[in-house]
Amino acid sequence: MNKRILAAVAIVIIIAATFVALWQLNVFAPAPSAEARTIKVGIVAGMQTVEGQDIERAAKLAIDEINAAGGVRVDEWHTNVDMELVLVDTVDDGQSSTAGPVTRAITDQGVDLLIGGATTGGTLNGQIPAITNRVPYIITGASLNLVTRRGNLPTDNPLYVDDAEGMSYMFHYCTTIYDYSKTVAHFLADSVKPTIDSTYSFDSARKLRLAILFRDDGYGRGVRDVTASIINDDILPIEIVANVSYGTSATTYQSQLISVKESKPDAVYVAGFTADTAEVIKEGINDVGLNSLYIAVEICEDPQFYDLLKETGSNQILESKIATQWQGNTWYLEKVGTYVENYKTKFSGKVPGMLGADTYDAVYIAKNAIERAGTLNKADVRDALETTDMPQSLLIMENERITFSPGTNYHEILPKTFIEQLIWNSDSAELKPFTVYPDSMPGISSFKQKDFALPIDYEPGSP
Amino acid sequence: MIPLTITSSGLAQSLLFGVVNGCIYILLATGLNLIFGVMKLVNFAHGELLMVGAFVAYEVTTIAGLNPYISILVSMGSVALVGIMLEKFAFRKVRGTEKLNEIFISLGLIYVFQNVATLFWVERYNIQIPSPFVGLSLPLGEVLLSYDRILAIFIVIIILIGLVLLTKKTKIGLAMRATSQKSDAAMLMGININRVYTFTFAVGAALAGAAGALYGIILPFNPAIGALPTIKAFAIIILGGLGSIPGAVIGGLLYGIAENATGYLSNGTWQDAVAFALLIAVLVIRPTGLFGEKGE
Repeated sequence: MNKRILAAVAIVIIIAATFVALWQLNVFAPAPSAEARTIKVGIVAGMQTVEGQDIERAAKLAIDEINAAGGVRVDEWHTNVDMELVLVDTVDDGQSSTAGPVTRAITDQGVDLLIGGATTGGTLNGQIPAITNRVPYIITGASLNLVTRRGNLPTDNPLYVDDAEGMSYMFHYCTTIYDYSKTVAHFLADSVKPTIDSTYSFDSARKLRLAILFRDDGYGRGVRDVTASIINDDILPIEIVANVSYGTSATTYQSQLISVKESKPDAVYVAGFTADTAEVIKEGINDVGLNSLYIAVEICEDPQFYDLLKETGSNQILESKIATQWQGNTWYLEKVGTYVENYKTKFSGKVPGMLGADTYDAVYIAKNAIERAGTLNKADVRDALETTDMPQSLLIMENERITFSPGTNYHEILPKTFIEQLIWNSDSAELKPFTVYPDSMPGISSFKQKDFALPIDYEPGSP
Repeated sequence: MIPLTITSSGLAQSLLFGVVNGCIYILLATGLNLIFGVMKLVNFAHGELLMVGAFVAYEVTTIAGLNPYISILVSMGSVALVGIMLEKFAFRKVRGTEKLNEIFISLGLIYVFQNVATLFWVERYNIQIPSPFVGLSLPLGEVLLSYDRILAIFIVIIILIGLVLLTKKTKIGLAMRATSQKSDAAMLMGININRVYTFTFAVGAALAGAAGALYGIILPFNPAIGALPTIKAFAIIILGGLGSIPGAVIGGLLYGIAENATGYLSNGTWQDAVAFALLIAVLVIRPTGLFGEKGE
């Protein structure tokens, strides 16, 4: 009897163990669907621009990492599949260059979703085929939030889109002119003004004199208007003494800089792209003798900007959202350090720029959404993107998490930006950035690397 | 709306900068004018030769370690060779046919040059030729003028003097002038027209090469920079008079001054519009330009 019971127990145990082993080996899992295929990720990048090349490289890095780690789980197909980069080359990412390639990517190449875009003008046109065809698009450039708010524009505005459902497929994973103008305005009020007041014994009631020199396009005019409204709304001790524009095709800026000089500013906020901003600073200091404090915006967070400026850029200011040229032994975010090192290793020592970082994060956001959706059905992926809730990655978020704001037209993030001061190292003959504002960032208690200091030949504006 | 502050010193500074910028335009416009004057060829791709010149100067400066001002000579030689090939293998083939053929060839060349340059130099977008004088400026009253800009003025003057000597004091210059006046008669007098055309195109291209190298020393450049300077160069030669070298010089200075003064007085917004309005006004009042003669 005992022997029979023991034998029965042994058989049960053997059967159970066999079952568990088979379970572990996924023998009972459904076979991968015959429909399983790679996920086609359309990367929208103007390959004739440095920003576009950065976007493409960052996307490639993220996709290769994901594929090497086993790909993306798609429950509907009961298996993991690889991501495939489909380059949507928008050449110069100009207004007229984007719609055609995006349309071809959707209709001919059948992309499952789109990621990328650099300029606002290019993206506003390039997103139309995605809106019309209901393709999820994580826009990682375009600093005007118009790309997600077109449905709320007045109906007579030429940019108005009367398609709330289509607009709901648009997501904006990028800082906007509002985000960085707010950082710049508060930096001027909190750090620059007290430094100038104490250095030149100015009355504390004196407002900081700010000149804005901007590209005469939607982006530049947006920076001008948003900065004025932030100063007004936040009651900052700043007076805008000049608003001077330059044509988008301009190559020299001396006339405009003379006008700026005559307004006797304490600081010059330059709303331009990499090459024009660098040239503005060089001509301002070397030709016009406007020895002021120049503030460049994050689009200039690119190795090219440092190369163009060289020594002339010493002690000037760069607003940024990712410090890819972080100076120090320990990175402010481990993930940023890993990204920069992997990027340099993979791409022959190239230092990543700013827009690529957004794209890198967006590829992981897409992976996360597809895995939660369990399908590549575009409406389901859109729904999953809406409920994204991930830890912050390369970009710093206000609440340390990546989420998109609710509502059909407002799929935006809550990023935090910061201020770097560029310092010329005469030994290595390199211009390097150091963070000067703010002291801390969400999840990073000690962020500031040095105190802000005025440039050596700095001349303040009118007393 | 913040009112503009306009002062006499600001205006004076602006005019001075206009003269400096005009010098670069002059070099490009003179080459374009020379080609038109002798060959009656309108080359819309002339600005692309400027772009090639800038990249050649950049490469020989950064790779071979040449002084950027020496690299101007290399750039002139290289772009002259490109010019010779263009004349022989593109423009000569359609010479004597419809003018539109020449125009379309030159328009097509714009895209060929831009795309090829992008292919070669896409990794080096918006670069600048490293100058040993970077950051150094000469104070002129309240104005500072960078050493590189001052050198550019002198180099343009030297090149223009050389060009005048070439056209006035040499045999080939005499042949160029003869061809420009009446090509059929020049041929009957034993002048090898093909040789003159090739040489003229090479000289015009070399001037664009020099303009490109100077441009690249002063300003950032990329494969797309040729287009706008070409339009400006056309405006200048129309302003000064088609085929007239002194006209190109005066036109270049006037254009540079008008452009900069407008930028200063109008806050930048109307800079290009007013400069081109000036061009239209000259065309309406004096269709041959300021120094132009009535053509054939």
